[in-house]
Amino acid sequence: MAKKSEFLFSKSSTRFFLPWMCALMVFIATLISAGGIVISHSLASWQRGVSSSLTVQIPTYDSQGLPRGDAVSQDLEQALTLLRTAPGVLGATILNNAEMAELMSPWLGTDAAINELPLPKLIDVSIDTATKPMLERLKSELNDVVPSAVLDSHRIWLDDLITLSNGILNLIAFVLLMLLTTVAITVIYTTKSSLSIQQSIISLVHMMGAKDLYITLKYSMYSFKYAFWGSFIGFVLAIPVMLGLVVFLKSVSTFMFQASLTHLEWLALISIPVGMAALAFCTTFYTVQRYLKKFL
Amino acid sequence: MMEQNKLSPFIAEFNGVSLRYPGSPEVLKDIHFALTPGSFHFMTGESGAGKTSLLSLLYLHHEPTRGRIRLFGQATDTLSRSAKAQIRRQIGVVFQDFRLLEHLNAFDNVALPLRLCGEKESDIRKHVSEMLTWVGLEKQMKAFPNALSGGEQQRIAIARAVIHKPALLLADEPTGNVDDAMAKRLLYLFLELNKLGTTVVVATHNEGLIKSFNFPQLHLANNHLKIIPPSEKYSDMTAKLFKREVKNG
Repeated sequence: MAKKSEFLFSKSSTRFFLPWMCALMVFIATLISAGGIVISHSLASWQRGVSSSLTVQIPTYDSQGLPRGDAVSQDLEQALTLLRTAPGVLGATILNNAEMAELMSPWLGTDAAINELPLPKLIDVSIDTATKPMLERLKSELNDVVPSAVLDSHRIWLDDLITLSNGILNLIAFVLLMLLTTVAITVIYTTKSSLSIQQSIISLVHMMGAKDLYITLKYSMYSFKYAFWGSFIGFVLAIPVMLGLVVFLKSVSTFMFQASLTHLEWLALISIPVGMAALAFCTTFYTVQRYLKKFL
Repeated sequence: MMEQNKLSPFIAEFNGVSLRYPGSPEVLKDIHFALTPGSFHFMTGESGAGKTSLLSLLYLHHEPTRGRIRLFGQATDTLSRSAKAQIRRQIGVVFQDFRLLEHLNAFDNVALPLRLCGEKESDIRKHVSEMLTWVGLEKQMKAFPNALSGGEQQRIAIARAVIHKPALLLADEPTGNVDDAMAKRLLYLFLELNKLGTTVVVATHNEGLIKSFNFPQLHLANNHLKIIPPSEKYSDMTAKLFKREVKNG
């Protein structure tokens, strides 16, 4: 004869409500976590790229398209003098033709005659990441000395982008926390509702000598089972959406977004449904333990 | 069966016990009595005299507001929750309203105490089948409570209370829903358990049963308890039994 549970879970709202809620929460949590990982990757890449250098351009042709001749050398000297004495600057060197050719090779190929092209002279500026120079001030001082010099300002907008990305990461962490809190609160209320419906049964088995742990584990395992199934469905539904987004981001820009996940990061994503079910288990456990204190 | 504390000769011992429900006057006042192992008592008194309350103190559903209860030699006010659960497993209770679980069939209702104790399913199947045969319900094994008559439900409730061979059996009006013949049959069932060593307390209004079986009575009146010995004229056997208890106690 099949063993039937003494608890009447079929009337519990946990059975109907918890799987759907967990499915939705895990779907959202998986997507925003994956988004957070992509942003973290991109952020690290941007920070690596801009953390230690700046570029200053000195035009070799004037606005009329005529060669500037010796003025270029003068501007280079004055710019180097200023940059090498600026606070936060570790060093400044002019890129030679070979370095220019290498730099331009993705666009011009390896056989380009750099000398014959109207390219500006470039100064590679190494900066101290610990005491970063005041970029706006440096730019202003540079333009006072060499009006035609252009301080490559990508660092400025990348700095803003990094700040924005960090803000987005904090927001993602906050939203995840809110999702977990919502699940925990919902589990508490569905469990309390179920306990209330089954009060007479609990009272009876308690009087028959059922230990608190026995009753608590029955409830907790029930919550875990339904939370896990719901979470699993939510995760499975999130995977195609996530892969679609990865393909989309890669098509938009491989430079802007590092849209690929490591094995460890996949493992972290897989832990979301398991973690959600574990949260349901622990919350139910705590709620039932507290409830049972009303019985002697 | 639970090993009784060797220091105490009693299954249950009440010393100056009172009980008051919140916002109500005391339903039980200064109760003193002790149950020796293997004894059989009727609990009598008018409706509302406190019989169910006294039984609920015995199965640890309530705590006394005053006084001290010792069960199986242990003071109940010092027990941990886990120890209380262990004590409850040694007590079988037949509730006045049966308290069968409607979603479980007769077999699963009776099997419940054994499952709570973690018995093996193969043993449970054997014992529950035997028990249901004993109470004459072997054919209703798969029937749900709402498909059973009042008397059948009562027998299921009794089978559930005694399936784990409790050291103490408490029955609250166990014959309230059955005819006199069935009432006597159930009492004989309790007597059989009693012969096997179970201490039995039966709360009842049934004067016929009290006279027929002539066991000592725990009589409640005016919130106080009085012990009425068995009448000599009804049964020599039970009177001797009571005298032996008094001598031992």
